This record gives sequence, C-alpha cells and structure tokens, in this order.
Amino acid sequence: MNHFALTIVGRDRPGIVSQVTGILFEQGCNIADSSCSILGGQFAMILILGHPEFTNRESFGEAFKPLEDSDLSVSLRVLKPGGEVRSDIDGDICMISVYGSDKPGIVYRVAQVLGEKNVNITDLNTKLVGSDERPVYVMVIEAVLPEEVEEEDVNGWLAPIRDDLQVDITVRTIPTVEL
Amino acid sequence: MAVRPILLYPDPILKQVAEEVETIDKSVVAVIQDLVDTMLDSGHSVGVAAPQIGELVRVVVVDVSKNKLGKDNNHGLLEMVNPEIIEKSGSKMMREGCMSIPDYTGNVTRAEHIVVEFTDRAGQLRVIEASGFESVAIQHELDHLDGMLFLDRVSSLKTDLYRRKGK
Repeated sequence: MNHFALTIVGRDRPGIVSQVTGILFEQGCNIADSSCSILGGQFAMILILGHPEFTNRESFGEAFKPLEDSDLSVSLRVLKPGGEVRSDIDGDICMISVYGSDKPGIVYRVAQVLGEKNVNITDLNTKLVGSDERPVYVMVIEAVLPEEVEEEDVNGWLAPIRDDLQVDITVRTIPTVEL
Repeated sequence: MAVRPILLYPDPILKQVAEEVETIDKSVVAVIQDLVDTMLDSGHSVGVAAPQIGELVRVVVVDVSKNKLGKDNNHGLLEMVNPEIIEKSGSKMMREGCMSIPDYTGNVTRAEHIVVEFTDRAGQLRVIEASGFESVAIQHELDHLDGMLFLDRVSSLKTDLYRRKGK
C-alpha cells in the first residue's frame, strides 16, 4: 500500500466532503487519518490516503479536475514508505490555553519556547473571538512533554510571555489511566 | 475462583445493556469473585465490569487504592451490584484507556464528585461519595453496564484519541 497526503481548501459550502470522498471512493483510495475543519470562510481537508496500486501523482490522472473546476485547491504529496505511521511520542499530554487581547506574536512566542525546550506540539488551534472593538485571541495547544519536564516547568517558561504580551496562560497535564 | 478473558470490541456483548440483579445468589457471587480475580490478574487494572467478561448483569468491581492517582482517596475494593449514580458534580478530564479497546486512549470529561448507591456482596445497600480518580473509574465501569464505551464520550478524534504509548 502506498500513501499520500491530500490537502483540499476552498470557500465553504455544503457538499465538499461528499464531492471529495466520492472521487476517492471511485479511485479505490482508503482514507486513513483525516481532519477536516472550517477555518475562517474556508473549508480545509487534510487526508492521509492509502492505495494498493497508485505510486505517484500521475496515477490519479484527471481524478481531481472536477474539484479544481469547482474552485477547490488540491495538493497531493506522495509519502515515503512509513510516512503514514505516527512515531511514538512518549510523555505526559499537556493542554496549554493562551488568550488575551489580540496582538502580534502570541502564537510565535509560545511556539518558540516549546520548540526550544523540545516539547512536541501535537495539536494547535487558534481563533479570533470577542467583538470588533475588543478582539480576543484564543489558542489551545496540545503537546507532549519530554520525560523530565513537569507542568510547573512549562508554567515557568511561559511566565515571561504572560507579562510581555499581557495574555492569560494556563497549563494542565492530563493523566493517562487504564480502566 | 477464576480469571476470565476480557472481551474485546467489536464483541457485541460490550454494546448491550446489562440486566438488573434480582437477588445476590451463588451465580452473582461467582461473577463478583471472577471480576475481582480478573482485575487483580491484569495487574494494572482498577476496575472491571461484568459485560467485559461476558456476563450481562449489573455488577462491577473497582479498586483504585493501589494506583498512584487513587491511593490517597479511595474506598478500597468496591464490589457493586446494581450501582446507580444519584448525584454528580464538577468535572474532570482524564485520558482513559480500556482493556476492551486495547492500544487506544482518549480524553474523557466526567463528574469530579459522585454519590453512588449500590448493593454489596453481602446484600447490604450502601451509599458512598467518591471523588477524583475513584469517581472517574466508577463512572467508566458503570458505562459498561449500559453498553457505553469511552469512544462514545470522546468529543474529537483529532485531539482526543491516541494510540497508546509503546504500541
């Protein structure tokens, strides 16, 4: 089985998922992991696909043309063998909420600290909420803490950002339990 | 009496609603004992529900006293027949794993405090107040009696469902 990463973005409207997955079904693609979401006025789909015979972009022929014709951007990435397998990331799961008046640098400053400390971000979502006069920026990160790192350490690293950018930050680890 | 194999999803028994126990007879006591034996045998488990060993009766066992998250706040070994949660408050998120769905864990939010009523092995009606990890464990096991799995309670696959470490 060869694997591909397919990304589709376009103005949101009903029927995009049906149109895309109809084509994938006809082509004989398996959808493994996927995440699709509305971002601003756009609908964005990211899918990891498997196909028993297809090997490259050309294998798909003109299959995606109807999508492009209906104003969707389509991009296909051919994965190297094993590229579909999530690597083991050991460590506690940590949720970080960051919010405050909108200003430049919120995402970068937080991501920079986490990157430097070798904390792996596994999910990140941001949203602009509040009113036009008082926009509030909200970011929620899920990250995996390296073995030796505790919740308090992350709190300490992010404290300067809290003061510099006047944002509220909460860090909480989620214990894993076997029931 | 016996360590029993844990049924794995998609065994249909795991999605059925278990029957109320009428009287605690020998067969019910046998189920309780098998649940305790099965829980202890697994080493890491803090609870087992009767449907997980193929018995569609409303019986669960829970013991969080040997787990580091529950050792300071627990009621020891709980053998619960016809358990019912009569009060819930607060909320607590934990990343739950289940012996019936190997390899995966998911973030589930449950009540932080519960009051639960049940009949014990001796036939005594008991009411206990549980909180923290013990509360989560009891709610997880009680879900099994209604054919509910933690997969029914995750809100987002993207952020909530992970392949378990080392698998």
